[in-house]
Amino acid sequence: MGSGITHPLDTLDAPVPPAWSTPEDQAAVEQRVRHYLHALGVVAGPEVEILVQQVLKRVELQATVAQLGEPLEIAIEETHRLLDRWLIAELGLEAEPDRLAAARAAVLGGHVPGWTQRWAGLSETPLTEVLQAARFQAVPERAPLTMEASAIDLCCHRLARRVLHGLGRLFGFSTVQQAAKGSH
Amino acid sequence: MSRHGLSALAARYVPRPLYFTLVMVTTMFCLSLLSAAIQDGGVSALELTLLILYTILMLWISASFWTAAIGFLVLASAPLWRSQVAPVASVAESAPPAEPFKTALVMPVYNEDPERVFAGLRAMADALAQIGQLDGFEFFVLSDTREPDIWIQEELHWQRWSAELGQQIPLFYRNRVENTARKSGNLADFCREWGGRYRYMIVLDADSLMSGETLVEMVRRMEADARLALLQVPPVPVNRASFFARMLQFAGSLYGRLFVAGLAFWQQNTANFWGHNAIIRVRPFADHCGLPKLPGREPFGGDILSHDFVEAALLARAGWKVQLAPDLGGSYEEIPPTLIDYAKRDRRWCQGNLQHARLMMAHGFKPLSRLHFAMGVMSYAASPLWLLFLIATGVEAYFNSLHQPVYFFGYNVVPIWPESYVIEMTTVLWVTLTLLFLPKLLALLLLALDRDEARRFGGLLHASLSVLLESLLSVLLAPVLMLFQSKFVAAILLRTSVGWPSQQRGDHQTGFWEAVGAHGFQTLIGVGVGYVAYEQVPDFFWWFTPVLAGLLLAIPVSILTSRTGLGLGAKRIGLFLTPAETEEPPVLRQLEGRLAAAEPLMATPSSTHAFWTQAMLNPGVYALHDALLHDEPQTRRRRHILEGLALQLQDEGERSLSLREQRALLSYREGLHLLHTRLWANPTLALPPLRVSE
Repeated sequence: MGSGITHPLDTLDAPVPPAWSTPEDQAAVEQRVRHYLHALGVVAGPEVEILVQQVLKRVELQATVAQLGEPLEIAIEETHRLLDRWLIAELGLEAEPDRLAAARAAVLGGHVPGWTQRWAGLSETPLTEVLQAARFQAVPERAPLTMEASAIDLCCHRLARRVLHGLGRLFGFSTVQQAAKGSH
Repeated sequence: MSRHGLSALAARYVPRPLYFTLVMVTTMFCLSLLSAAIQDGGVSALELTLLILYTILMLWISASFWTAAIGFLVLASAPLWRSQVAPVASVAESAPPAEPFKTALVMPVYNEDPERVFAGLRAMADALAQIGQLDGFEFFVLSDTREPDIWIQEELHWQRWSAELGQQIPLFYRNRVENTARKSGNLADFCREWGGRYRYMIVLDADSLMSGETLVEMVRRMEADARLALLQVPPVPVNRASFFARMLQFAGSLYGRLFVAGLAFWQQNTANFWGHNAIIRVRPFADHCGLPKLPGREPFGGDILSHDFVEAALLARAGWKVQLAPDLGGSYEEIPPTLIDYAKRDRRWCQGNLQHARLMMAHGFKPLSRLHFAMGVMSYAASPLWLLFLIATGVEAYFNSLHQPVYFFGYNVVPIWPESYVIEMTTVLWVTLTLLFLPKLLALLLLALDRDEARRFGGLLHASLSVLLESLLSVLLAPVLMLFQSKFVAAILLRTSVGWPSQQRGDHQTGFWEAVGAHGFQTLIGVGVGYVAYEQVPDFFWWFTPVLAGLLLAIPVSILTSRTGLGLGAKRIGLFLTPAETEEPPVLRQLEGRLAAAEPLMATPSSTHAFWTQAMLNPGVYALHDALLHDEPQTRRRRHILEGLALQLQDEGERSLSLREQRALLSYREGLHLLHTRLWANPTLALPPLRVSE
């Protein structure tokens, strides 16, 4: 292998500096979480502060288990997980990933007013009904019909082969051939 | 038998024998003239070839001519076309159905402009709402789109419309995981999943438009005849501005009505399906129109490409009626804006139509369905046959020029003049030209009989001038299209690719180099053939000049006719005007309004990245796309592959991924989540300053 070509395993040998050890690292993660929450639609100061703290606590918990190589990714994942947990609790979902995805699309699409307040725990008003009403329905309930391929009997398809086969049958050749095949 | 009974019998049993007799008699007459002209001292192999080719081509031309001529008589005697759009009053007066049912407006799309797709559907929904007939209609976008950017845009358009209209107008959207069997597979998938929900489906193309009145009337006619499985409403070409397209729109609007009326006259209950702008009874369609794969390799084996003809034939085979509605207007489509785009569309259709050659003799089809297949084949095979005919004529003329006439032989003292067949040959030529051009004059005559309709075409004078111009240009374009289509047929038969990109539907103009690339070889052929003909057979050369002129002028004609300025200039001076332009139907205005009011789907801060990666950075768009996917069990292997693709995208950019890989990332929730997370975790991600409210 030439000097300019790297093997995928080389990545394992390259040292990865810990990225949660300095205050600068933590500040960068916090800033990214704030941006992400803003993109989700959480813009009110108190809501942002509460949710940022919750996410950072989760990231710290992960850092106590193992050194974090990519804390930004962990932070985004944790924010996401936090949202999903809230939606599952709000809707009382049990192993219904399609409904969870629909609810997530509803809140992030701006169809559920006041959801950020509720997510941050600053509102007592349940949103279960609103979330269910805003459920996405891209397709209606299934109403299946059977649609099998129709037979189209082509004229002259493999005519020569069919004629030869017919002649072979006529003279008992194909039967002999099949018997010969069967004996192997 | 009463007079009414007799006329009903005549209407049922006369049209087809009459039509086919006229076609056969005309062909035999022309053939007898030609054979008299060339059978001088027996028939050579070359002359026999000429006669066979001429017979096939004359059958084709006279079939087309008599369709138009009969259409003219039908329209002149019963001016159905004066009240083309079904009156709303009849809709309101119709009794409510015994049991409620739903009709789906289905639009199968494949990488089409989503803005136009959804604006068209909105325009039709608006048109239905205006006449208070929205109940019972549902809209369904059946996407087979593979391009990630277009896929995401379709979803955003769907979301926008759903949010705006709520439950008022149900609009459904699905993107098929695999686009098996293309458009026919797309429709079949719809029937298999949701067919039981609907009694009828109105099949639309991405550029289709139909007025509210027509949509309602189509349903009413289906309800009125329980054996009617498919009703095709002929679409009129509209909405293009280039000179080429406006010319075709004019021709389609003025001459098209003759052909449609003629077709309906002789096709009766075994009409054809044109692929869109038709209403279909869903259950018999599901029962009979599942398409098998044809045995063998492409181009004649595999998936049936031009599915519409076959579906109509299968319905007819099962005893269902398939009709054409010549009296229904309010049906529109958009056409390719330039000659090159027109040829590209031909390339797509050509293979499907040639495939029908295998179906012509398949067991069980009705004779008229076989004829539809044959006509489909001929619509492309005619070009190479004309080319062969021209070559054979040239060769024959060359051999004839080698013979020196002998005026004195034997004991004759007076010269024996060679027998002249000028009259027969001239008659053959004139009869052929008459068959080709008389329908245009008949269409003008029809306008002369109705001043109101003439006004809709810009007045009789302007319409006549437009017909003259269109005829001249069609003479120039005919040899160019002949060479294009001959090339496509040859390429398909030889199983080679002609390698053209996909067709552009919107107005755009042909550049010089694009024209040279498409027509350069045709021009060279024109120069070469012209030189040889002039040197070797000068008499033939002059007969051949219309064909040569078309080839020699192909490049400038292609460029000039693509110009929207020229098309709009012609419109300003009243040329190529159509009723859709002079009295713009509301549904077209609604479409224009929708397109003009179009707003960007989302802010795209960077132009260096593809739309789909920027869209996946947006949590709202990501969540929407995720919600429209179906949850599937994940495996470790699949996760690793998707993770690899997400990393590749992050490290090497989206262009390093193939279309399939891009689609894979967007097709699975796991991949999508990885993509969204990694995009947000990118340390170099440019983010705007935060604004936090209290």
